[in-house]
Order: sequence, then structure tokens, then C-alpha cells
Amino acid sequence: MGLKNVLKSASMGVREMDAERLTDRFIALGLQPLSELEPRFKAKVCGEVKRMSIKPRAGIPSMEIVINDGSGEATVVFSGRRHVAGIEHGHCIIVDGVPHSDGKHLVFLNPAYTLLPMGEE
Amino acid sequence: MVEPVVALIAIGVAGSNTLMATTTRSNPLKRFFIGKPIATSEDGHQRLPKKVALPVFASDAISSTTYATEEILIVFMSLAGAGVAAYSRLVPISILVILLLIIVVSSYRQTIFAYPNGGGSYVVSRENLGRIPSLVAGGSMLVDYILTVAVSIAAGVAAIVSAFNGLEPHRVTLCVGFIALVTLANLRGLKESGALFAPPTYLYIVMLFILIGYGLFRVFVQDLGPIPHEDTFSQELLGGNNSITLFFFLKAFSSGAVALTGIEAVADGVPAFKKPEPRNASTTLIIMACILGSSFFGLSILAQHLQPLKDEEGHIADTVLAQLAEQVYGGRNIMFFLTQFATFAILILAANTAYADFPRLSSIIAKDNYLPRQFMNRGDRLVFSNGVIFLGLASSLLVIAFGGIVNALIPLYAVGVFTGFTLSQFGMLVHHRKHKRPGWVPRAVMSGFGAATTALVAGIVVVVKFTDGAWIPAVVIPTLVLSFIAVNKHYSRVRGFLAPTEGYSAPFRTHTVVVLVGSVNQGVLQAVRYAQSLRPDRVIALSVIQSPTDRAQLDADWEKYNIGIELDTVVSEYRDLTEPILNRINELDDELNDDIITVIIPEFVTSLRSQWLHNQSALAIKARLLFRPNTVVTSVPIVIP
Repeated sequence: MGLKNVLKSASMGVREMDAERLTDRFIALGLQPLSELEPRFKAKVCGEVKRMSIKPRAGIPSMEIVINDGSGEATVVFSGRRHVAGIEHGHCIIVDGVPHSDGKHLVFLNPAYTLLPMGEE
Repeated sequence: MVEPVVALIAIGVAGSNTLMATTTRSNPLKRFFIGKPIATSEDGHQRLPKKVALPVFASDAISSTTYATEEILIVFMSLAGAGVAAYSRLVPISILVILLLIIVVSSYRQTIFAYPNGGGSYVVSRENLGRIPSLVAGGSMLVDYILTVAVSIAAGVAAIVSAFNGLEPHRVTLCVGFIALVTLANLRGLKESGALFAPPTYLYIVMLFILIGYGLFRVFVQDLGPIPHEDTFSQELLGGNNSITLFFFLKAFSSGAVALTGIEAVADGVPAFKKPEPRNASTTLIIMACILGSSFFGLSILAQHLQPLKDEEGHIADTVLAQLAEQVYGGRNIMFFLTQFATFAILILAANTAYADFPRLSSIIAKDNYLPRQFMNRGDRLVFSNGVIFLGLASSLLVIAFGGIVNALIPLYAVGVFTGFTLSQFGMLVHHRKHKRPGWVPRAVMSGFGAATTALVAGIVVVVKFTDGAWIPAVVIPTLVLSFIAVNKHYSRVRGFLAPTEGYSAPFRTHTVVVLVGSVNQGVLQAVRYAQSLRPDRVIALSVIQSPTDRAQLDADWEKYNIGIELDTVVSEYRDLTEPILNRINELDDELNDDIITVIIPEFVTSLRSQWLHNQSALAIKARLLFRPNTVVTSVPIVIP
């Protein structure tokens, strides 16, 4: 680690550092980056679970997660459940589906997903 | 031991608002020192008859006789090295000073009649000269009041030290102690109560005239000789035979001119007099000027014959007045001690005058938005507490920095006074020209002449004493003026920004509420209920978790307590708590353009003793959110008895 890197990391915000870490982590999978995701086109993307929300909507809960691959973010909704086994903060999943646009976000509704094992790329 | 007490009081007063908010019981420590609060409605205005007004307003001016002669002597003896020749110059200088006194007093008489509501230099220049001159006057007077305290207390302590030479090493401690006492007394709202002021001032005047009268009697009738000076240091001082140059003459004159400090007090305080105010005030001013002038002149004659000695560094501890009294009364007897005590008392009162003036002036300036608003706050006892505390601290610092030596402080003193005089009189000149009342021409000429004279004196003081310390006010006053303007600019900017434009409506339509959650407890449940009671468009519980087990636990509790709001969990990659919360709030804010966000933080309130164990992260979050636009932070307190 040269002096250049030290200086670079010192001037970077936490978010940029995290984005760099995630990009390094997912580059090997060779999937579509989230920044290039477009609504209503089938896509296969991956990302780390950054946020989980449980929405107790009128007795039918839904779980929303936000994944991030360093280039961008997408929301994944699993309706009718409070929790999906294996999906936790910091875990990585591959999502296969068609996103739709909801406000400023792209949302996958109940897509096919693959859990990536922890600690492996 | 005195300083910590001062600090405690300062905290007690400054912190009063926050402390009082949480507990209805008053702070006993503060009650003990400050006394019980006075209601605003009880702020009766006490009108003073002349015989009480004289001591109240004149103590500052008359007290300057205690050091003015001495200061002239120091310039000649110690700085110019003129030796015995110095004594023959005392009377000419004092005549010049008295002439100056007559000019300034006649000018102030007009101010009294023109501004019966109180016409300090600041007010007069504000009305007539405009912004910058008034600020210069205000800054000068503020600096001057601080110096009045420092100089008077230092001189008062010098009187004590002259009477009890053993106290010499504790000079600074004594000074700070007395400043603390006076500050404390003023926080209690001692104001200008005549009962307290009258006896010491009259005692001093009487003692001074006895000293002068008896002294002159002994000199001229009983042939009392000069004070004997045996030690080598004194001989050296007396042996100087340099001729007195114009420079030193002017320097001595500017030292003597400090005798005029404080005569503006009467003009400032006209409304405090009994009716008819201007007439009574003007009579009081003239009586004061007569006492001041005659005693100063008398002391100069006495000093010329008795030849007391004083050096600039304070090797000779006794004041000139003490030396004169000792010689006249033939030793340290009851009369000597009575004189010293009266001197001390009037000097303390002189300092106290500044405590009435400084807070009042600073509150007027603050009201005009040139000083922080805090100077307008009145404390429990209806005094402008912050001004009082500020004055106490500033003068203590000065006394400490200059080692409590009067002579070192004097060069700083006269600049502000004469700047104030000049602007006030110049303001009066403009006032006369503007209103053109019958017979205004001679009055305007008088004011103009006064302004020119005092401006000349101010100039002389700055030039001849620049290196002795006159540069300090010459730097401080402009700096003060600049900061007044900066403060004003800020306040105007804020006011301009806040003023609603035509057809203004609040820019937010939707309301998002974020409840910060650690783990589910009573506090969180209350906070959630509170959030729902706000009827927001969206309510979210946000939790920063450390591990999946945390999330599972939270999820389980959410179901168990049937909390009906969305639960967001984020993980902090880098163990920082505030960063993820701020990021999430930023995201929420980005989603809608017309949104206002309320962040609700459940907080535990325990006793003062253990409060620091809680809410440290809440404090950090609040601090970060304070500067965020469109964000409301609300604490939902859970009081744990």
C-alpha cells in the first residue's frame, strides 16, 4: 500500500470506500451492474443486502431489501412474509427477474434469487 | 479562594435557563449568592434627589483624584527623570486639566438639556453622527468601563496596600477578589442604591478636603517641610536633573487628564434624577466639577510642597495620597487610616458605577443588533447579568495582565474616555446645527470647541503614550467596531432571510417520521405511539444493528408487541452509528421534494449523577442533525426516577 493509496483512502468518504469494496467483491461474477439496470427488461444482478424493512401492511407483511453492488442499488420485495431464510444483512444474493420502476427506485417483485455463500466471491 | 466562587456564580447564572427548565425547584447555590428573583413588574424606577445623585454619579469622577496627581508625578519623576523640578510643574498641569474640565462640563450641560432621557456618547452620536461614529463611541465607552473597573479596583487596592504594607505581595489576588465581590454584588442587583453610595463618597470628599485644608494650613502656617526620603532609590529619583521636554509635558498632561474620567455619568443618567431632571442633573454636574476641580488643584499644591515620590514600576508601594496623609497628620494615626479607608471605599464605588453603565450600554447596543442578544437578557434580579459577568471577567483579566499596577493601566484608559467625549460633543454640535433653537450659535461653538479640545487630547494620549499601552485601545476599539458591524450584518441577514415574502407558504407538504430504535423497550413503544399520534404520511422505525441475531430479535419483538409500523434495519459496515442513520435520512429526504422529516429519539432521563451513562449516541446524532435543513429532532423522554 503506497502513500498514494493512503492519501486516497483518507480523502474518501465512507460510502465511496464501501462502494469500492463492493465493486471489488462482485466484479468476478460478471453480472450486469445495478447502475445499468433498466425497468421492464429481464436482468440478472447481484448485490450485498444493505437494508431490510418489514412492512406490516394490513396483516399481510412484506419484506423489502435493498441490495447494492457498488455501482447502484435496487429494491427487492418478498410479499407475504416477514423473513426469508438466508437473507441477512451483509449477505450477497443474485436476483433474476424483471424490475419495475417505483418512484426513484427499481423494484424486483418476488424474483428468483440465489444465495451466495458468505466469505466466497 | 475567590476565583472558583466567581466561576461557580458565572455557571449558576449562565446555566440558569437550562437548569430551571428541568426542575421547578430553584438552585439553592444560586439563591444563596444571587438572592431571590425579582418580578419584572417590580422594576420601579427610583428617582434620586440631588444629594443622593451626587454620590451615585460622582463617585467615578471624584475618585480619579486619588490617582491623577500621582500619575502626573510618575511621568515627571520616573520617566522624564526631572527630579525636584517636577514639583513645580504639578500646578500648571493641574490648571490645564481644570480648564479641560470646564470645557467638557459646559458641553455636557448642554447634552443634559438636549437629551433628558439620558444621552451617553453612544446615543448622542447615534442620533446625530450616524452609524460608524456611534459604534466608535459605543466601543470606546465599553472599553472605558472595563478600564474604569480595572483602574479603580487597582487604585483601591493600592490604597489598602499603602495602609498595610504587608499586603503588597497579594496585590493581584486582592484586586481579583474585590472585582469578584463587586460583580457578585451587582448580580444581586445592588444597582445604584443611594444608601450605599452616599456615606463613602461624602466621607471621601470630607477627608480629602480636611487633608487639603489641614495640609495647606500646616505648610503655610506651621512650615511643614517636604517628606523626608532617605533610601537610595528615592534619592536617585529626586536627583534627576533632565529638563522637561514638550513630549513629557504632554505625557504628564494626558496622565492628569484621567481626572476627567467618569464625568459623562451624569449625562447618561439624567432620567434617574428627580423632577425637573435636566435642571437637577446640570446642578449636580456643576457641583461635581467644582469638587473635582478644587480637590485636584488642592492636591497638586499640597504635593508641590510636600514632595511625595512615586515610580512607575511600583517599587514605592505607598500612594501619593497616602504619603501626603502620613506627612500631614504626622504619622499613621486614625486620620491616616480613615483617609485610606475612604479612598478605598470611593474607588470600589467608582468601579461599581461602571457595573451600572456597562451592562446598560451593552444592552442598548445589543438592542440595536450590534452585540449578541445575550447582553439584553435580564437576570433574576433585573440586572443585565451577562453584561455584569462579562465586565467582571474582562476587568479581572486586565488586572492580572498588568499586575494590578494603576500606572500600567492608565495609558489604556484615557483614549476611550476622550474618544467618547469628542464624539459626544461633536454630536451635540451637529444637534445644535440641525435644530437651530434660539441661541444655538454660542452653544454650538462651545460644543465644537469642546470637541476639538478633547479630540486633541485623545490624539495627544495616543501619540505620546502609544508605546506605553495606548496602542491597545487604538487596536481594540476599531476591532470592536468591526465586530459590531459583523454581528449586525449577521443579524440583518438572518432577519432578511426570515422575513416572509408575499404569498409565502411553508415549503413542505408531506411528513415522514423516523423513530430511532435500539431494542424494543417502553421508551421505544412510547416513541412509536407518539410518532403515530403525529399522523405523518409515512412512519418508519430505523435501527442500526450489529448482527443478524439483533435483527431477528427485533423482528420477533416487533411481532410480539404488535408494533404496526415499518421496521428498517441497516447494518453499520464500519461500526459507526450516526453515519448509517444520516445516510438513511438522506435517502428518505431524496425520495420526495416537499418533505419534512421528523426524527424521534427515545431518551432516558435519569438523575444528573448518572445521566452521562445514557444517550451519548443520541447526543451525537442530535448534534449532526442540528444543521440539517428540513429536519426536526424530537426527544421522547422516559423519566426513570
